Amino acid sequence: MYSLKLESLFNANGIKIGDLIRVAKQGAIYEGILLPHAQIGDKNCAVVKLKSGYNVGIEITEDAKIELIRQGQGGVIAASLEETSAQPSVQESFISILGCGGTIASRIEYMTGAVFPSFSPSQIVGAFPELSKVSAIRSKKLFSLLSEDITVSHWQQIAGEVEAQINDGTNGIVLMHGTDVIGYTAAALSFMVQKPPVPVVLAGAQRSSDRGSSDNKMNLLCASHLAKSDIAHVGVCMHGTSNDNYCLFHSGTNVRKMHTSSRDAFKSVNRPPLAKISYPDCTITQIREEGEVQTRSQNQGNTKFALEMNPNVALVYSHPGIKPEFFEGLSSYDGVVIAGTGMGHVPTNSFNDPSCTSVVPAIRGLVDSGVVVAMAPQTVYGRLSMNVYTAGRLLLEAGVIGNNCDWLAETALVKLMWALGQTKNPKDAKELMLTNISGELSQRSRIDETHNASETD
Amino acid sequence: MEIFKSGIEIHQRLAGTKLFCNCPSRLVEPDAKPSATLRRTLHKVQSELGATDKAAAFEGSLNKTFTYQCFGQSNCLVEADEEPPHGLSREHLKTAVEIALMLKAKIVDEVWVMRKTVIDGSNTSGFQRTAVIGLGGLLETSKGPVGIQSICLEEESAGIVGEGKEAQTYRLDRLGMPLIEIATSPDIKDAGHGAEVAQKLGMCLRMTGKCQRGLGSIRQDVNISIPGGARVEIKGAQSLEDIPVLMQNEIMRQSRLLEIIKTLKDRFPESTIGFEKPADLSELFKSTTCKVVLRALGQGGSVHGLRLPRHNGLLGMELYPGRRYGTELSDYAKAAGVSGIIHSDEDLKKYGFTVQEINAVLHGLKINNNDSFVLVADKQAACIKALELVAKRASMFFVPEETRKALAQGASSFLRPLPGSARMYPETDVLPVRLKHDYLQRVAAHLPTSPEAALANLKSILNEDLANKIFKSQHLSLFQTLVAQQFDPTVTAVTLEETLVSLRREGVEIPDVERTVVPVLAVFEEGKITKAAIPQLIRAVAKKKAAAIEGLAPAMLVRQAIVESGLEKLSGKGLESVVIASNFDIPGIMKKYRLNIDPAELQKIVAEKKR
Repeated sequence: MYSLKLESLFNANGIKIGDLIRVAKQGAIYEGILLPHAQIGDKNCAVVKLKSGYNVGIEITEDAKIELIRQGQGGVIAASLEETSAQPSVQESFISILGCGGTIASRIEYMTGAVFPSFSPSQIVGAFPELSKVSAIRSKKLFSLLSEDITVSHWQQIAGEVEAQINDGTNGIVLMHGTDVIGYTAAALSFMVQKPPVPVVLAGAQRSSDRGSSDNKMNLLCASHLAKSDIAHVGVCMHGTSNDNYCLFHSGTNVRKMHTSSRDAFKSVNRPPLAKISYPDCTITQIREEGEVQTRSQNQGNTKFALEMNPNVALVYSHPGIKPEFFEGLSSYDGVVIAGTGMGHVPTNSFNDPSCTSVVPAIRGLVDSGVVVAMAPQTVYGRLSMNVYTAGRLLLEAGVIGNNCDWLAETALVKLMWALGQTKNPKDAKELMLTNISGELSQRSRIDETHNASETD
Repeated sequence: MEIFKSGIEIHQRLAGTKLFCNCPSRLVEPDAKPSATLRRTLHKVQSELGATDKAAAFEGSLNKTFTYQCFGQSNCLVEADEEPPHGLSREHLKTAVEIALMLKAKIVDEVWVMRKTVIDGSNTSGFQRTAVIGLGGLLETSKGPVGIQSICLEEESAGIVGEGKEAQTYRLDRLGMPLIEIATSPDIKDAGHGAEVAQKLGMCLRMTGKCQRGLGSIRQDVNISIPGGARVEIKGAQSLEDIPVLMQNEIMRQSRLLEIIKTLKDRFPESTIGFEKPADLSELFKSTTCKVVLRALGQGGSVHGLRLPRHNGLLGMELYPGRRYGTELSDYAKAAGVSGIIHSDEDLKKYGFTVQEINAVLHGLKINNNDSFVLVADKQAACIKALELVAKRASMFFVPEETRKALAQGASSFLRPLPGSARMYPETDVLPVRLKHDYLQRVAAHLPTSPEAALANLKSILNEDLANKIFKSQHLSLFQTLVAQQFDPTVTAVTLEETLVSLRREGVEIPDVERTVVPVLAVFEEGKITKAAIPQLIRAVAKKKAAAIEGLAPAMLVRQAIVESGLEKLSGKGLESVVIASNFDIPGIMKKYRLNIDPAELQKIVAEKKR
C-alpha cells in the first residue's frame, strides 16, 4: 500500500490504481498508468508505468501536481491467459496435472514485488499447447504455496488427491511443486502412496515461469511423458544438466536439491536416477537396472495408501560445540533425526578430555523418555557406520537407530513423521524406520563409472 | 530531402564490473576456448498487463535452439542464467546519474529495473535488464536544441558468433556489461545533424572517464519515419560517417515502398491479398542442374514456391541503390533460416534453370501474366516457414514498423518487428533504488567537466594540434590525472599520442599503458632521464614486462631498464668533465650521449667553459 498521505491524495483527485495519470513537478511531467505499490520501495513514491513500458518511482512532493487523465479498466493485470476448459471425455485416457504452486506456475506479485505462485494448471496447459499433444489432461489446483510453507497436512491433502485421481482412472499424475521442498514432498508421497499403479511425477522450475528462459516448459513436458510411461514410481523430474538437453527422473526417497539456483540442482544420492528423458523428443531411457524399477503391472493390486503422519518431529544438525541443553530442549518432540558428522557422530568426548563435553547423556535422556532418535549422514552421500568409532557405539548404546543406513537426512525426517503416524509405539516405529518401504534404504553401496581412474590421473 | 522525423540512440559500454554481478566487463580474445558451452531454448511469455509482445511472438514462432559460449574470465552463473542478479551496481548508477545531469534531464526519484523481453537468443534469461534514470533533457547543437527523451542504464547482450541453420551461437563474455543508453527526441534536422548529435553525445559520455574504448564499445542507432511511413529503428551504425547515408537511404526506402503500396492498392481494390499455401515443386526439378536446388534436394530438402498475385514488376523495383522490393521479402524469408529466395523479376537463367523448368513452375503455381512468384530451396519446414513469412510481408498495405540492422554503405536489412511496450515487466529479483535529493545534490556538485570546457582547458596548456589529439584520445582521463600531478602537459601529451603510436607501429606491445608509461614519465619528471630517452625507455620497459618479470614494482622495473639500456641522464659536473675531456667535440658528444644529454644544458656548459 502507498502511504496514507499518498492514498488520500489519490482519493482527493479521483485516482485509482490502473488509471492514466499525469504528475507535474519541478518542470518535469510524467504520464503513465498508476501501478499498485509493491511493498518494497518508498511508500511515498508513486510507481507509474510510462508509455514506453518502463516503470518509474516519482516522489509526490508538496509542490507536485497530480491529475487523472483517463480511468483504467479496473484491475491492472488482465488475466487474459489462454485457459483450456476442456476436460477429457469419459472414454479418453488422461493424465492428471495437479498444482501446489511454486515458481513453475507464477507471475509478478505486487504485495512483495516478488515472484508468486498464481497460474492454475489449466493456464499452464493453455500456455503450452504441446502438453495436450502428449495426452488428454485433467488439471486441478490444490493450493498455491511457496514450498517452504508446506506442512504435513498439505502432504496428506496431496496424497488424498493422488488416491482420488487413481480411483478415477488416471493414467498418470504430474504434480507441480516449488523446488525448495519438492524432495521432502516426494519422500512423503513415497511413504503415503506405496507401489503406485501409475507414475506420480513431481516437477518444478528453478527459473520463474514469467520468463522466456524458464525451465518450466521442458520439465513439464518431460514429466507428462513420464506420467504416461511404465515407470510406476513416485519421483522428481528436473533438468539433468544446465543445458536444455535432458531431464532426469529421480526416485522420491533419494533426491535432494544440491544447489540454490541452477537448473540441474537436483541429484539422486547414493543411487542412480530412475530414468533419463531427452529433449525435445522426450524419449525415455531407463537408467536403473531391470528389476530395480517398478512397473504398472507389478504394482497393480499391491498399492498401499497410508496417509497418517505425526508432524511433531525435528531434524537437527550436529556440529562442534553443540550443547547438551540443545538436545534436552527437544524433549517435547515425538521423534528427532540427527544429521550427524562423518559416519553418524556427535560430540561424545570418547577420550575423556576435560575440555570436551559429551551430548550422549542428553540424547539417552530423550530416548529413555520415549522420543525416537534416528541418525542420518550430514555428508549427504555415504552410509552410516556407527560400529567403527567409540562415538558411534556410544550413540547405539544410548538407543539411537540408523546404523548402516544410507538414507538422506531429509528423507529420514519425513519417514519418522510417517512412522510415528502409523504407530504411537516407539518400538514399532523404530522397526518401521529400519524396514525399507520405498527405496530409502539399500543394502549395497554402488560402484559405478564415477569411480574410474581418468586417463589424466 | 523529403520531410521526415528522426532521432538518435547511443549505447555506450562502461568500464568496471558488469551491471548485476562482479565479473569484469572484459572481452575475451576472439579465438579463446570457452570454459563451457550451453544449449538452451527460449519461449514466448506475457507481460504483467497480459498481452504478448509481437516481436517476441515473431521470435517465439521460430523455435530456435541457442548455443552459448561461456568464458571463465568474464562469466559467472548469473550470465549462464543459473543464479539471480546481485543488485544494481551503485558505481554505474552514479555514472548514469552524472550523464543525465550533464544533459539537464530530470532524474527519477526511484529507479525500477525492468525486464525487456528478448527471445532472439541474445540474452540467456530471455530478457534484458534495463532501467530509466533520467527523462526530458536537452542537448545544444549547431542547429538548435535537441530534446533528450531518456537516459537508461541497461545490460549489454551476448555477442553473436555464428548463424547456423538450426542453432545460433552466442558468446557470453559481453553479456551483462553496463550500457548507458541515450535516446533523443525526433528533433534531428538533417542527415549531417544526425552525425553531429551522435558525436556530441559521445563526447559527453567520455567526459565521465568511465567509458570503455575499442571496437563495439559505442553503438549508434537511428530512428526514422516519413509521413505515411512507419517508425523504423536501424541498429548499429558502424561509424558516425555512416549516419547521414543511413538516414537518406531509409527515407528513400520508405518513400519507394509507399509508391509500391499505392500500386498494390490500385491492383487490389479489395484491399487484401489472398495467398495460396506454399506448394512443393520438388518433382519439377528431378533433373535440374541448378546448384542451389541440387544442394537442397541432395540434403533431403525440397523446393517450394509461392504465387504472388498481380505482383508483376514489383519485386524488381528499386528502393535505393542495391536494394529492391524483392530484397525486403528475402529478408523476411531469411528469418526462417533459409539463405535467400529466388523470384521471378530476376534473371532466372543465372541460377541454371532451364526454360522447361521455368514453364513447369509457371504451370504448377498457375502463374498468369500479372503474377510474380518466389521459390525457396532448403529443408522442407524452413521452406514453408520462409514462404509464409514472405506472404505475411507481401500482404502488408503499409510500411511495417521494424527493427533493422545497419549494413555497409548505409544499407539496412530487416531484423524483427519493432517491439512494443508489452514486452516490459518488473525485474523482481532486484530491489528498486531510491535516489534522494541530497544524493543528487552531491553528484551534481561534482559533475565531470563539459566537453566544451574540457577542450578549452586543454587548449590553454597545449598547442591546438596536441589539444585536439588528446581530447579525442582514449588516454584523455589519464592525461588529465597526470597534469593534475604536475607532469609536463606537452611531454605527457606527445608521449601518449605520438610516441605510443610510433612504438605500436614498430610492433612494441604495450598492453597496460598506465603501468608502463606513467613510471617512465615519472622518472623524467624527477630529472633522471632526458626527454629524448623517453621512447627508448618505454621500449625497454615494455620488453621487460613482456618477459614476464611480474612482482617487480613498476618503479624498480624502470630503474633496472634505465641502467640496462644506459639511459642515465648525464648532467652537471659529469657533463662538464665529458665536455672538457672531449675537447668541446659537440657532434661527438651528441653522437655518443644523444639520449643522455639535455641539448640546452650542453650548450650552456659549452658556452660557460669556453669563456
